[in-house]
Amino acid sequence: QRAGKMAAPMELFCWSGGWGLPSVDLDSLAVLTYARFTGAPLKVHKITNPWQSPSGTLPALRTSHGEVISVPHKIITHLRKEKYNADYDLSARQGADTLAFMSLLEEKLLPVLIHTFWVDTKNYVEVTRKWYAEATPFPLNFFLPGRMQRRFVERLQLLCGEHRPENEEELEKELYHEARECLTLLSQRLGSQKFFFGDAPASLDAFVFGYLALLLQAKLPSGKLQAHLRGLQNLCAYCTHILSLYFPWDGAEVPPPRPTTAGPDTEEEPNRRRNQILSVLAGLAAMVGYALLSGIVSIQRATPARATSTRSLSMAEEDEE
Amino acid sequence: MWAGSWRVRFQEAAEPWPENATLYQQLKGEQILLSDNAASLAVQAFLQMCNLPIKVVCRANAEYMSPSGKVPFIHVGNQVVSELGPIVQFVKAKGHSLSDGLDEVQKAEMKAYMELVNNMLLTAELYLQWCDEATVGEITHARYGSPYPWPLNHILAYQKQWEVKRKMKAIGWGNKTLDQVLEDVDQCCQALSQRLGTQPYFFNKQPTELDALVFGHLYTILTTQLTNDELSEKVKNYSNLLAFCRRIEQHYFEDRGKGSSSIRSS
Repeated sequence: QRAGKMAAPMELFCWSGGWGLPSVDLDSLAVLTYARFTGAPLKVHKITNPWQSPSGTLPALRTSHGEVISVPHKIITHLRKEKYNADYDLSARQGADTLAFMSLLEEKLLPVLIHTFWVDTKNYVEVTRKWYAEATPFPLNFFLPGRMQRRFVERLQLLCGEHRPENEEELEKELYHEARECLTLLSQRLGSQKFFFGDAPASLDAFVFGYLALLLQAKLPSGKLQAHLRGLQNLCAYCTHILSLYFPWDGAEVPPPRPTTAGPDTEEEPNRRRNQILSVLAGLAAMVGYALLSGIVSIQRATPARATSTRSLSMAEEDEE
Repeated sequence: MWAGSWRVRFQEAAEPWPENATLYQQLKGEQILLSDNAASLAVQAFLQMCNLPIKVVCRANAEYMSPSGKVPFIHVGNQVVSELGPIVQFVKAKGHSLSDGLDEVQKAEMKAYMELVNNMLLTAELYLQWCDEATVGEITHARYGSPYPWPLNHILAYQKQWEVKRKMKAIGWGNKTLDQVLEDVDQCCQALSQRLGTQPYFFNKQPTELDALVFGHLYTILTTQLTNDELSEKVKNYSNLLAFCRRIEQHYFEDRGKGSSSIRSS
């Protein structure tokens, strides 16, 4: 039953696009890119609400057997098993190099990426939080960005070592220094090749592209690493090459006419209208209820004939006068 | 906690390497754990390869004496440097380097493979020591707290375990089973084995800091008694790695006639 084409298509849930990229999240971007490289027939759901994902986190892959995988490396392993393998042509030595360079990215570049987008105050307030707050639906937009930030900050602290009582600036300087070195190393390894292992892209390219694209494309107010990266011509060309080749319409993907991404939007509209109507009705009901209860307005059930009631009314009027 | 915050200044690079340089680690027989032993051996191998004399001193509170909290650290002249990365840079500033002969691409590969060892092998060792209940109960707790009186020994051990578990969770290893971790170790060893191939060292004729690091970890894994042999079996599957360890041990530790007992760990 392990045929190339599956009965039910695999579905990928990932963060939607922004800043000129198909996705704003590193893991989602890497997985998407790998899928594009291999031409895997995935049904991509670009969502902004992690609660809608089958695993509660993004990215998540629902396989054709209904199983849900949410660790990016495992998603790629699964795609490989389903014969969508970008590393098929790599030699054993190149496979070993892939592992090594992935470790290099995780140890040296990931902490700085987290710091740039989630810890650096200016960047966080003006770019990251703004995007997430605008993209996620009510009421998630109030607490989700903050919660994500806390989680990322904690992860960064644990990644960078616990016994560093020195001040923040020293740590930052060291982090960025190592990241710059890492970028230079990547540039040297890439040289003038089109991809890291020749003319065809591999899984390493998907991850490197994820990191570089985020660092290059987002309009960061304090982009110290961006400046260094822009100086490495071959990495910039590499990024643009992949973007134009595999994501040619990513700029227009943000407000797309596709049903999958328009789904959550149209769902939001009647919800918002309904919420507005409900809140107005609730306000009215509260006012009327208060009026009735406090006696400002009273409804009298007059059982005698109309004539007597009108006379009592006119008598009341005379009394008032 | 740590004896003064010694800041490493590379400006005093002009001074030659003194004769009384010392390396501090935890007590070898009863206290030191697998991961720390590996790190210490890696530094010792590196310094041997650079032909720099070093004396190994064992102290129960080595972890607290270290400026970064990690062992081993070296005390050279009036400076204290910890961990292999900074030590390599420090030694380079003094004019000794093993990787000068490499071109840029090779240097990139060397750094990447060193990160691979740190990312996979070291993390796997930490996982085994602190997150595998059998090992924790039988070996780690007893060893980690052995220099301290009750109840401090338990408290410190639990505290360290909690710290390590938090870190594992943060990097995504919290939900891994022991089998998956051993799988990762196997993958890592396979990558190292393929990179080494039939060469004597990773970059052909001359050893570099990568060789020192790999030797430190693999030798320690091969010679440390754990609750079971699964970890060392993974390494033993690759004959060229075994030959590599033997070669470095013979060339840099036995031939020098220096305290070879220091690496005949139990």
